[in-house]
Amino acid sequence: MARRTLELPDSVPLSPIIDLWDQQDPDGPDATGIYDFYRNLADGELTGQKCLSCGKLVFPPQIICPSCNSTELEWVKVPEEGELYAFTELKLGAPIIVENYAPFVIAVARFGNYPENGFQISGMMFDESYEELKIGDRITWDILEIKGPGDKKRYWYYFKKL
Amino acid sequence: MRNVAIVGAGITKFGVREASWKDLVQEAGKAVFDDVPNLDKKEIDSLIVGAAQPERWVNQTHVAPLVAELLGIEVKRVISRTEVACASGQAAIRYAWLAVAMGLSDIAMVVGVEKMNTKFMNFSQSSMINVGNREFDGANGFTAPPFFALVAQRHMHDFGTTREQLAMIRVKNAEYGSYNPYAQFQKKVSVEKVIESRMVAPPLTLFDCSAITDGACALILASEEKARQLTDTPVWIVGGVQHVDYAHTTNQMGDLSHWVGLRKAARDLYEMLNIKPDDIDIAEVHDCFTISEILEYEELGFCRKGEGGKFIEEGQSYVGGKVAVNPGGGLLSNGHPLGATGVRQAWEMVMQFRGEVPKERYVDNAELGIAHNLSGMAQLHHIMAYSLKKRSDVKFGR
Ligand SMILES: [Zn+2]
Repeated sequence: MARRTLELPDSVPLSPIIDLWDQQDPDGPDATGIYDFYRNLADGELTGQKCLSCGKLVFPPQIICPSCNSTELEWVKVPEEGELYAFTELKLGAPIIVENYAPFVIAVARFGNYPENGFQISGMMFDESYEELKIGDRITWDILEIKGPGDKKRYWYYFKKL
Repeated sequence: MRNVAIVGAGITKFGVREASWKDLVQEAGKAVFDDVPNLDKKEIDSLIVGAAQPERWVNQTHVAPLVAELLGIEVKRVISRTEVACASGQAAIRYAWLAVAMGLSDIAMVVGVEKMNTKFMNFSQSSMINVGNREFDGANGFTAPPFFALVAQRHMHDFGTTREQLAMIRVKNAEYGSYNPYAQFQKKVSVEKVIESRMVAPPLTLFDCSAITDGACALILASEEKARQLTDTPVWIVGGVQHVDYAHTTNQMGDLSHWVGLRKAARDLYEMLNIKPDDIDIAEVHDCFTISEILEYEELGFCRKGEGGKFIEEGQSYVGGKVAVNPGGGLLSNGHPLGATGVRQAWEMVMQFRGEVPKERYVDNAELGIAHNLSGMAQLHHIMAYSLKKRSDVKFGR
């Protein structure tokens, strides 16, 4: 008697859990109240928020100010010029989805007058090596277009040396 | 609060194991049951399982009842799994301690376990981006090695810590690991060997990093009355603290070369126990990377801020120095199976206080030990204190 078999598909789609840019949607069940952050990136701006009630800067963006619980938050552009605070270059063990770009620099930069009135943000740097950078270098952010998988197009940011 | 003691401890070999998650749980369970031969399993009324990412690495959730089944214990009082990433194990001890201290449980079991080595190693590593803020830092490739590399770079920049001093941490912990038959790595190394190992994320090389490890460890906690029936050498849990500032994402972290959360946690613990850093004989600390142990010397108050590098260079953290730090070999030698690590630190305390470790890493006459576990990108710090002497003067609450 022939053994019963179950035939499975040749491949299964990329699991979203290994996708680094697991951004939410503007509407539907995966909607997020901070979706304007992504719209702003698509429009060319990296933004944080300023609380209209207590005046504190908020990053990453949220729907409620964690300091005063106000829901009145306005988008503010992250200053274009910042300072390289710390950096390394990921040479081993890069996340699967960006393995082909490794090694790349991972940095933390400060924009504005951090921490009182500024932001401290992490970011990738391409076409730069660890050896050529130094703490205190002037840097800027720019928009990164993430193409794929398939027709998908999303926007993120990266840092570059001025 | 009732006094609570650890009356039994059991561990598996740590490493790249040809064993499943469930195999590891059973091995650790058997090891602890063998350690407390006069314990009737039926007396265990509670179970807490420390496990960080079983749903990703072995695709299993709801793990606490699975562990109860595997170990053949019927839980009547408290059962749960704890998850705070790299400190999931210490969290499990903390809740078991609280259950027994409050009188809800008389005998509680703790199991810490992680199976991280699978056929899909880059998937295991990629999973670590979820420990930080996935949407905002994870998206930039922020796994643990690059984050701690930034901490190392800033500490070197701000305080003049040297590459060699980082390596000296591994040299010390490798030496003690060489006397620990359960450790993943049991070979001594030199400063040169650490510096010349493969670059992971500068300034950190492979030997500056703890490994991706499989392992499990289990404890039996008991009320004082039950403890007296089960062992002649109870190891008392005398205190515990945790501290997290509202810092999970880079923007909230401030200066990376300062771990303010640990500084505050240590201050709280010392106040709770009315002790000074000098009173600590053994410290198992979270050396997930060499730089971590240097910051921990400073924030725990073993030396002044910025002088952690000098502290290891002077040999002050060796057995026989000012305080014996990681005489079990630390995460660097044992490996770091996330959920098991905090429990392994407590296992080391039990073995030290009972005098059941090789003499080369034995801390003679030790009375008070602390175990420090950190989680994620050092956002959250956890400390527990263990002692051969029970304490009646501990100030819980304010
Ligand atoms: Zn506000």
